[in-house]
This record gives sequence, structure tokens and C-alpha cells, in this order.
Amino acid sequence: MNKLVCLLPLVLVITGCTAVAPWQRGTLAKPQMALEPNPVQSALRTHTYGSREAAAGGGSAVGGGCGCY
Amino acid sequence: MGARQWEVVVAATKVTSALQALTVAALALPGLLQSTTCLADDDEVDFQYSHYQEGKRSLVKVPNNRNPIEVDSIFGSSKVSLTDRIKFAFAYTQDTWSGATPITTAPLVGNGNHPIQVTSGKNLLTVGASPLINRQIFLDPQLHPLNYKQQIDASPVHILATASPETRKQGDFKLGYEWDEAAVDIGGGISVEKDYESRFGNINTRWDFNQKLTSLNVGLSYTNSDTSAILDHDAEPYITKTAFQNQIEILPYTQVLSGNKQDWSSSLGLTQVLNKNALIETNIGYTRSTGYLENPYKVMTVVFADSATLGSDPSAPNALVGDVRALLEQRPNERNQLTMGARYIQYINPLDAALHLDYRFFHDDWGINAHTFEADWVQPLGQGWTVTPRIRYYSQDAANFYAPYLISNQAFTKTATDSIGREIWVDANNPNNGQQFFRTNNGGFVDDKGNSVDITAVDITPKRVGFDASKLPANFSSDQRLSGYGALSGGVTVSKQFAKGLSLEAGFEYYTHQGALKLGGGGEGAYSDFNYYVANAALKVNLSTLGRAIADHSSHTQHHHEHGTPAPAGVMFSHMLGNEGDMMVGYRYMYSRQAGDMLHGTDPVSDKNIKNNACLDSYLRRCRVAPDYMDMHMHMLNIMYAPTDWLNLMLMPQFMDMGMNQRLLSGVTYDATQDHLHGGHQTGGVGDTGMYALFKLFDKTGHHLHTSLGLSAPTGDVDIKLRRMHGKDAGFIHYGMQLGSGTWDFNPSLTYTGNLARWSWGAQLSGTIRLEDKNASGYALGDIFQSTAWGSYNLTHWLSASVRGVYTAQGQINGAFNLTPGVANGKQVNNVNPGSKSNFSAGPMDYGNSYGGRYWDVGFGVSATIPEGTFQGHRFGVEWLQPVEDDVNGYQLERVGALSASWNLMF
Repeated sequence: MNKLVCLLPLVLVITGCTAVAPWQRGTLAKPQMALEPNPVQSALRTHTYGSREAAAGGGSAVGGGCGCY
Repeated sequence: MGARQWEVVVAATKVTSALQALTVAALALPGLLQSTTCLADDDEVDFQYSHYQEGKRSLVKVPNNRNPIEVDSIFGSSKVSLTDRIKFAFAYTQDTWSGATPITTAPLVGNGNHPIQVTSGKNLLTVGASPLINRQIFLDPQLHPLNYKQQIDASPVHILATASPETRKQGDFKLGYEWDEAAVDIGGGISVEKDYESRFGNINTRWDFNQKLTSLNVGLSYTNSDTSAILDHDAEPYITKTAFQNQIEILPYTQVLSGNKQDWSSSLGLTQVLNKNALIETNIGYTRSTGYLENPYKVMTVVFADSATLGSDPSAPNALVGDVRALLEQRPNERNQLTMGARYIQYINPLDAALHLDYRFFHDDWGINAHTFEADWVQPLGQGWTVTPRIRYYSQDAANFYAPYLISNQAFTKTATDSIGREIWVDANNPNNGQQFFRTNNGGFVDDKGNSVDITAVDITPKRVGFDASKLPANFSSDQRLSGYGALSGGVTVSKQFAKGLSLEAGFEYYTHQGALKLGGGGEGAYSDFNYYVANAALKVNLSTLGRAIADHSSHTQHHHEHGTPAPAGVMFSHMLGNEGDMMVGYRYMYSRQAGDMLHGTDPVSDKNIKNNACLDSYLRRCRVAPDYMDMHMHMLNIMYAPTDWLNLMLMPQFMDMGMNQRLLSGVTYDATQDHLHGGHQTGGVGDTGMYALFKLFDKTGHHLHTSLGLSAPTGDVDIKLRRMHGKDAGFIHYGMQLGSGTWDFNPSLTYTGNLARWSWGAQLSGTIRLEDKNASGYALGDIFQSTAWGSYNLTHWLSASVRGVYTAQGQINGAFNLTPGVANGKQVNNVNPGSKSNFSAGPMDYGNSYGGRYWDVGFGVSATIPEGTFQGHRFGVEWLQPVEDDVNGYQLERVGALSASWNLMF
């Protein structure tokens, strides 16, 4: 099952998954490796793009107003 | 429309050089790979301010004198663990925007931006541009627009409209539960603006597999939004609204277009650790939107060119005369959107940096395909500093119903004819009564039965019929967001992590939108290009880290008890930090409202009295309007630091937003071109910034005395003007709606506090002295003196209740707004402020002698200092100030009351 799950991103990146033991995950835990290192600012940027570009949406509903200006 | 995401912190602890510490941290985490949709581990309070500023748009032939769109936003959020497994987060966002934005696009040959011209000596000067959306142009028989030389010129130009400031407020929350290898959270919120209200809910789940090397995220959300747009009263008479007639409500002073929209979104994401230095996140999302998907403020320019007009204008015998009209835009009532994206994160070992690469593809059934590429380089520099440069490229196709403008081969309206080609005439006073008349060969009229009609008895007129909507496309929009273009942006974020869990972040991004940047070419013309920048600054307080510091340093708790209970929430500068190196962060919200009777001195006053006496300095020497209500909200952030035990330094940025409406005084006849009665005015943004030093004067058991000396810097705007309306510039908005004092101010205070057993008490004298005679706009607010005294009682060891008396005196405004030259009805005039000859509607709030007064209030408050748990050491306070008496200068609305709420954390 675990291997099957591992296969999904593999298809996308053509890179194999390596077994990473818990004690080898120090680097992955660094703040710069976070999916969103600056989440508050990312939310602001997403909001701004959303009011100026057609390709908003597709994510979770999180409000944001009309943006009619 | 935007997204509010929740912070993801992969590492719970501060990074140290010891790899082992990191490993332990990683092991301890419930999910190493948390997506943005689920709540993070660390408890945190965040504040952010941002400013969005657009560049001026090109109007090609005429100068653009309009300020472009700008948006000031504040954001505050808090995320806390209620238990080890239950997390709660809430956030508040507020945006205030104003400025000029395109409402439509038109053929340049029509001079859509009518030059505002004034005569100066013998010269005709062009001083600006005014939108003109109904006019005539020439076209060749093949329907190409012609310029004045009768040459084909189809180039388009934007037509801009300016919005006076408007504010949006949003509150939302998330509640999450976490298992060892799974998490679920539900969230919801509401976003409110004057013309748009949106309610939303969402649920997100996360499952970890494969020793937490793999995470699966599934989310579902729903949004329901109501539009109730007040149609631009300047442009509304020129807009064709037939397609939305049953959605428009006609009110006394305005027309309101209503609609409802619903969005369902689902998303599926997978995050995978590839190796010890790289991970990838992939996601797919689907959103279905239905209902009113239009932008109510965008109109489509349609040139109605009837072949029958060929040669009807002798100056262009070979041309058709096109009737340029503006129709409310029409979009499909359904939109299905698909997104697919991937994000790859690679650790760069020699530099201790991380490279983030993102790609996102978007497709919808409006014909838009879009691609987004982004690269971020996150570079830690040591000592808590991190610098993140980034670059982003975005490209989209145009929607299949997008067009800059439309040309339709028919008349906008024409005389109706019957089946045999006779002109139909109707009763001018009752055109829809079914009666029809026809002209006879001898000049008389007959009805449809052929009976002769006495036209001296009936007022008849030719029957007009509108255009055939079926000859137009079913959907059309000229909204730039639906055009084909590319956008390139780049920016940098700098953050500094301080000890004790405090961090500051600042970012800047520049963005350019250009038709020529569209992937594969074929984008919109250069007329639609624009740029913007966004600058932001954020303060983050990591409560988990602070909590540990507070627990380690129990003397703080001891210290809190020394001075008894906290002062009521409405009292500022009431407390000093007692130990060298101590810090405090705090947030204070104050709301005040004026509504009800108009007062003169202490007594209610009649409309007649106001009309005749409160606006003696106006052109009419009479008032036409008076305030109906006035709301003020202030958000204050304070950061306090004790370099020694007798001196504290404090910085206090403020954010303001105000709303007011005015009413016509009784006995005044409404004048649509003068009296601005269309739903109220709003302003908002950065207020003045305070810098204070607090000195300890006396500190013995049970008694404490300190003084504060401060300066308030004039960072709030005092030059906010209303937009040009009815062909006239409108000048400054009322003094009370400006965001700051505009002057450097001196703020001294003296505070005494005492306590015995369960009782605490205190008194404070404070003042605001303007250090300048007038600000950049020509006036200075009155000085303020305030005295207050309070007593409080500890109900329990952590909760206290207080009663307070307050006396405040404030002088009237000195000076007045500078004269504002402008253009009114095609003439340059030396002043367009309210109360001037060209903008003569005024009320007491437009005059400085109706500001300030003497006020008595009583306050009732509660304060809590949380003794243990997640919020250990946090102080919360709420106080309501109830007016006892108002003795106002001039003519003012009475006060309803004021609410203060505060949060403080010392560490």
C-alpha cells in the first residue's frame, strides 16, 4: 500500500522515492523547507493575484470579497 | 476571491546547529508534511499591513489625472491549541481601496475619455479626462471605426471611473482535530462590504502514510455571495441595463443591482518526501461557480451601426453613423474550473538554502487556459535573518466571450413599423396601452381599424423599439481580467527572527501586466498594460516559544501581581514593564459611534436651526445636509521594550477606518447633482504612529507613579478627497473622515496606580498638543486634555471588574481645508470643497467650529490575566464607555458610546 502511494508522485516527477528514516529528516524540518515559508504573505499575494487574474479558485473557499475594482 | 491560508510550520523548534535537535523535532511532529489547508502545530499571533499601489493607466490621447487604485490592508490572526489535539484559529482582514479603474473599453476614435478642458487666456488647456460612454462615431460600410480623416482606426482605449474609498471586512475561523496520522479541520467565515457579502465554509482532511513520508489532503468548500451593487450614479443614466431589469431595484437616490453566486470547490493534494533533501507537493482542484458571475461595475461598449445611416451625416457621405452605447456586461451563469499544480522543494546544501519551484495549470469552460510558474529561493543568513527573492510568470488566454468592444449592425433604437412598412405611432402619455396610429397620405392619422383619429385630442408620437438583443453575442465582457495577457513579477521578502519567539517580516513585489507577455503571443494591445507594487510588513508572535519562556521565568507572573489588576482596557500607558530586557506586545481595538440627535452645546437642535446657523461660512450661508451616523474603528498595535527598569520605550502604529452617512435636512429640496446621498462614505488606512518613552517616578508596595512623553508622527492621510461627480470635482471629504491629525503632536501623560488586597485604583492625566499650526491640508485639530480615575475589584485571582469616570476636553479645529482648485461644469474654479460655489451642499461636519467639546463618560470593564495553560500570562480586557454628557462645539451628532478591547502579552 505504502509503495503504491509512493508511486503517485513518482509518475509526475520521474524520481524515485527514497526511504528516509526519521533521523534523516533534519533538513526537511528546516523552516526554509516548509511548503509555505511565509504563509501570511503568501495569502496576501494569492488574494492580490485573485483580484487581478482569471485563474483564481480551484482551492479551498476562504473568502476574499468581490474584488470588483 | 483571494485566499486566506493557514500557516504551515514544518519545524516546531528554532533551528539550531545540532542535527539531533532537528531530528527530534521532526519525529515529534504529528505530520511532517502539512499542507496549507490544515492547521499547524505552533500557537501564533500574526499581524500584517500591506499597501497595493497601481500605476496610472494610459488614456492614449488625453492626460490621465486620476489617482490609480490603491488598497490598504490589515490582517490579524491567532492560532491556539485548545488541547494537545484540538486547534483553533481565527483571522480578521480589512481592506480599504480607492482610485480609478477601467469600467469599459471603447474605440479610441470616439474619444471615450472626454478631455476636461478649461480656457486659460486664449489657450484651451486639457486638465484631465472624464469618461463619456454614449456618443457617435463614423464607421465604413464594412463596420470598421473611422477617425476624423475617415481612415480606419479600430484601436481601443480604456474608460476609467473613480471610486471613493470603500472598505471590506472579513472574519473567519478554523477548528481542527489531530490524530497521530490524520487531521481534520472545519472552517468558515464571512466577508462584508457595502455592495457584496460572502459567506463560506470548508472542511479539510489530511492522512499521513508511509512513515509520514506521504500525506494526502482532501478538501471541500462552499461559498455563497450576494451582490447588491449601487450603480454609479454618474454613469448609470448612460448604461443600458435591459438584460438585468428584473435584478435592479430603484430606490429614492440610487439603483441597486442584485445577484447571488455560489461556488463549490474540491481539492486533492499529495505531498511526498523524495529524499532527505527534497519533497514535492502535487494537487488538483475543481471549482464550480453558478449564478450571477458578472462584475456589476463593468460595462460593454457596443457600437450600434445601422446600415440605414449611410451618408446621413453630410460631413461623412460614405460612412455609417454609429451610436456608441454601454451595456452591463453579460457572463455565462456557470463556470467550471480545473487546476493542477506541482511544487518541488530542494535543499541546497552548501548554502543551507531551499529552492521552491511551482507550476500551476488552470483551465475553465469560458475558454481560459492559464499557466503560472514561480521560483523562490529561501536563504537563511544567520542570526535569525532570512532573505527570499522570488520571480513569477503568469499567462492566460482570453475568455471566449471577451472583446474590447462590440460592433452591431443595427440601430440602438428605431421607429417601429408594421408588417406592411408603415410607421407606428402611439399615445405619448400612455405608449403601452395597445393603441396604434398610422399616418395617411393626406397627413391625417387613422387607428389600426382604419378609423380617422383627431390628433388634437391625443398627443401622439412615433413608437420606438430597442435593438434586437439576439443579434448580440449571448455573453460579452471587456473586463481586463478576462483578456489574453502575461504578467511578470518579482520581489523579495526579508525576515528576522528575534529571541523569545518574536519575528518581523517585510516584503515587496513589483508586477507588470502586459498583452505582449502572453505565452505564444496574441495578447491584448498595449493600451491595457498596467503595473502595480505591493509592500507588506508583518509581526509574528510565536506563543509556543513565548509560553516556554514565560513558564521558565516565573518572576514575570510575580511581577504582574505587584501592581494589582490591569487598568481598564480603554486606558493607555497605564502600565510599565518592571525588569530590564522585558518586552510586551499588545493589540487594542477601539470603536466609537455617533448617532441620534444633533446637539448644539448640550441640547438637541432642530434641522431648521442647523440649516440657518451651522454653515455660515459656506457659499449659500446655509447647511443642506447633516451627519446621520459616524463610526470609527481603530486598530492599534503596540510593542514595548524595557532597556532599563526605569525606562520603557513603546512604538504604536495605528490603522483606522471610518464610515459615515449624511441626510438631507428637513425643508431642503434634494438636488441630485449636489447632495451626495448614496449610501454613505468610507475611508481607511494607516493612522498616525506613536512613539513613547515611559519613566518610572515612584514605585513602592501598593503605590506606583510614572509619566510618559510621546510624539505622534503624522503618518495618517489628511488629504482624502471625494471623487469627481456630476461633472464636478468634489474636494476634501469631512475633517472627521481623514485618517490622522496631519501634524506632529506631543502626548504627555501622568499615571498613578495603587492596590490593596483585592482592590486596585488609579488616575491619569493626559494630553495631546499639536506642535504645528496647520497640517499640509491647511488645518490643525484641537488640543486634547483628558483626566480619568478608576477603581477595580478582583472577582477571582485572574478576573477583575472596573468602573471608571472620564472627562475629556478638545478644542475646535484651527484653520480650514486649503482651497482645492478643480474643474466644475467645464470651468476651472478656485475651490471645489464642500460648501464652495460649485459644490455648495455642506453640513456642520465640513466646518472646524463643529469639532471638539467637553465630554463626560463612565466606563464599565472587565480584565482577565490568564493564570495557566496555553494563554498563561495573556491579558484580555474589554471596556464600554457610556456617555453621561456631551457639551459640543458648534453642531454635532451625539455620541452613542465607545468600546475598547485589548490583548497584551509580556515576556
